[in-house]
Amino acid sequence: MEPDNLVLQPRDVQFDWSTLPMHWVPDEPVTTHVMNVLHLLLPEGERWFVRTFQQAVPLITDDTLREDVLGFIGQEAMHAEAHSEVLDHLLANGLDPRPFTRQMEHVFRRTLGPTAGLGEEQAREQLIERVAIVAAVEHFTAYLGDWMLNAGALDRAGIHPVMLDLLRWHAAEEVEHRSVAYDLMCHLDRRYVRRARTMLLVAPVLFWLWVRGARFMVKADKTTKARLTWREAMRAGRRGLLPKLSEILRAFLRYFHPAYHPKQEGSTSQAIAYLASSPAAREAH
Amino acid sequence: MLRGLTWFGTFYDAAVLRIGGRARPGTARDALWLNVVERQRVADGVVSLRLGGTGLPAWQPGCHLDLHLPSGLRRQYSLCGNPEDDTYRIAVREVGAGSREVQSLHVGDRVRVRGPRNAFPFAGIGPVVFVAGGIGITPILPMVHAAAKAGLDWRLVYCGRSTTAMPFLDELPIGHVDIRIGRGGPLLDDAQPGGAVYCCGPASMLDQVRAEFSGRWLHFERFSPPPITGGRPFTVELRRSGVSLHVPADRSALDVIRDFRPSVAHSCRQGFCGTCDVGGVRICVDRPTGDRLVVEEL
Repeated sequence: MEPDNLVLQPRDVQFDWSTLPMHWVPDEPVTTHVMNVLHLLLPEGERWFVRTFQQAVPLITDDTLREDVLGFIGQEAMHAEAHSEVLDHLLANGLDPRPFTRQMEHVFRRTLGPTAGLGEEQAREQLIERVAIVAAVEHFTAYLGDWMLNAGALDRAGIHPVMLDLLRWHAAEEVEHRSVAYDLMCHLDRRYVRRARTMLLVAPVLFWLWVRGARFMVKADKTTKARLTWREAMRAGRRGLLPKLSEILRAFLRYFHPAYHPKQEGSTSQAIAYLASSPAAREAH
Repeated sequence: MLRGLTWFGTFYDAAVLRIGGRARPGTARDALWLNVVERQRVADGVVSLRLGGTGLPAWQPGCHLDLHLPSGLRRQYSLCGNPEDDTYRIAVREVGAGSREVQSLHVGDRVRVRGPRNAFPFAGIGPVVFVAGGIGITPILPMVHAAAKAGLDWRLVYCGRSTTAMPFLDELPIGHVDIRIGRGGPLLDDAQPGGAVYCCGPASMLDQVRAEFSGRWLHFERFSPPPITGGRPFTVELRRSGVSLHVPADRSALDVIRDFRPSVAHSCRQGFCGTCDVGGVRICVDRPTGDRLVVEEL
């Protein structure tokens, strides 16, 4: 009896980063930085989600879906703020993320922003393509969210508790709202071809940005000599500290199944249970 | 890297517009029109209604319905029947104009609803203590039954002014039920460490539960923002649309602008998420110091 039709509401969470060490997965600089890429990509990426969806709200003709989208926007806005605070903390501690985040600003504001000078019909088609891109990204965030909530190895590795709470609060809300972007895409365009082509675009670009981000972070961190290598990433995957590549690949393929729906990924019960136990989410009322 | 991505982005956008085809939109769900099929007084000042119709969407414990009343008022009521029934049941305590209107519905009347939606989901993990105050039993009742059915270790603390004012006392499953008249004592003295607590009741009850809570999972209903008190009426001027709207003391600029333009973006309605921000003005909470609020970009 999995709960369904959740009312999505943003939570006014606060995190205290004053005690966060540079390597918040103890003795795992590479794993730490691979996960730090979240903080590099998400603030700008999620602000772009918010802008895109705000533009899409007037196209929605279904009252319930509109409510879901507004809840989604608020949650994404809070994710962006929470992650950008981590960037401020990194900067204050001698790791300057700005060379990379400036590039992300360019990608999300210019490359993925609306093209000037389009007619109304074309602007609408472009907006719907953007919504489908968000839906494809949200498939991965739902997969990663589900992985994060179930990765017992993270607890055993002794991750800094505030960071673990941030990651799992975010993960739980991603699982909570995992259907919204997909439902919005289908509401605006139910053709399979749109779903498939945007995933074919998103998966390699996202992977490439991630590798670049992780390489940047490891290099920018002057306190470690470790380097990002395939062997390191595979080892962390085997220990359960990072998702396995083979599983990411399988998740990617699931999106192409004709009967795919995000509800099949992850567990709403597990997400709401985490939110009921999260120190930050519980205080946020 | 940037040059490559920008080039590719431009190419992709152009290709999609040229050969991507046109969007084929999906459909919108219609609002439900339901019939009142049963009306019963279940406690002092509390009336329960059963609503029937064809093809009712499934629901889970914690779900509520939005009733769109003939007067234009909208009210939300928790579903308090059995999810396997082919009707929806709500219970309404008389507290104001909206609930009076619902209570005056009779068998055979039609009412427009939206939902069910869930703002108080039940995760189904035990051991679990339910705490209900008065009409707050409505979302809790189906949870208690679900917990009993699933064989969870559960307890219920149900508080009220008097037994005649407490609905559904005769429908509680056999088990650890603790009926309390009046409040005063601890609410969670029976709770196990590492368990879950679900609470629905007045704000003072929730505060007490929060103070006593030392378990693992604390669940409560996420309410809409608190009512505006001490606000003054003002005029909001939308420069781009060229209109001025009157905002009464008990409403926000957002509430009024939404009537004028339903698609205006907003989310938390409490001023923290920033979704409704228009040029530095958070229209969900901001009020001017004078009597005029100017929004340039709407």
